[in-house]
Amino acid sequence: MTNADQSARPPSYWTEFRRGIAAMAPALLGLIPFALVLGAEATRKGLSPLEVLLLCGMNFAGGSEFVAVELWNNPAPFLLIIGMTLLVNSRHVLMGAALAPHLRHLPKRKALLALFFMADEVWAFGIQDARRRGGLGAEINLPFYAGLAAALYLTWIFTTVAGSLVGPLFGDPTAYGFDMAFPAVFLVLLKGLWTGYRAAAPWLVSLVAAASVHLLVPGAWYVLAGTLAGLAAAYIWPVKQ
Amino acid sequence: MSVSLWTFLTILGMMGVTYLTRITGYFLLRNRNLGVRAQSVLEAMPGAVLISVIAPAFTSDQPADLIALTLTLAVATRGSFLLTVIVGVTAAGLLRHLI
Repeated sequence: MTNADQSARPPSYWTEFRRGIAAMAPALLGLIPFALVLGAEATRKGLSPLEVLLLCGMNFAGGSEFVAVELWNNPAPFLLIIGMTLLVNSRHVLMGAALAPHLRHLPKRKALLALFFMADEVWAFGIQDARRRGGLGAEINLPFYAGLAAALYLTWIFTTVAGSLVGPLFGDPTAYGFDMAFPAVFLVLLKGLWTGYRAAAPWLVSLVAAASVHLLVPGAWYVLAGTLAGLAAAYIWPVKQ
Repeated sequence: MSVSLWTFLTILGMMGVTYLTRITGYFLLRNRNLGVRAQSVLEAMPGAVLISVIAPAFTSDQPADLIALTLTLAVATRGSFLLTVIVGVTAAGLLRHLI
């Protein structure tokens, strides 16, 4: 990702790259305690620090890594872990579909590289930035996206490995309120995507559906159920652009 | 520091599955022109995913969690990430110890 998009955008590649890092910073604050816990837990399950590095660096999808480490045994239950990874990460299919219109201008090679780094936060900040500039037709700002991805990726692998090295010295991060950082970041992202009550109606459908499924069904099904319920609402009552 | 072959294969499998989920939507929609309903669905999608991921926070039966979440939501409408994270984490941490 060396050549910045040059279509009439004044800021330089590095300005936009740094803006991406800065945009990601508050999200990192909430992420670090969990990364430390994940690394520590992985050590407890018998993974070496190098294996933690490979897990977080190659997979790079935090939710599925927590689930995998919880299920880890010696030897690892391969099919169970792969199946749960698919389940937890199935939301990426929808996220990629939403991002696709913003990636059309990119050569396939670059789009595929960008998609490797499509974690929740990178996707959310990236798509919010594009839509604020020009709705569905806007191109993704690649240097900005690269800044988001670099900040999250390096922090994630560095902190999980640090957690695995210092070991389980940490208690439960929820005891200090750090778990609220995740909803906090997501709520501000939602505020950024807000275009009015009418357009936000599907979100309410999603919230009610996801909360209900979370209370009634064990596992991570609530993400898929909530998302699909909101999309069904958007399909049945389309919002005109 | 060592890497066992089985562990490496498991991680490789996870990587393959995760990457597949990341590129599937892109390949499905890369060259399509979208109708009104499809556009409406894509428009709603980021918000629908975000609110669904954090929905469990809304189902807590702890008053401290719900008050902290309400405060976080109120601050979030101002649009500042840093301020919202600080208020959210501090409120949740304090209220859980106080209530």
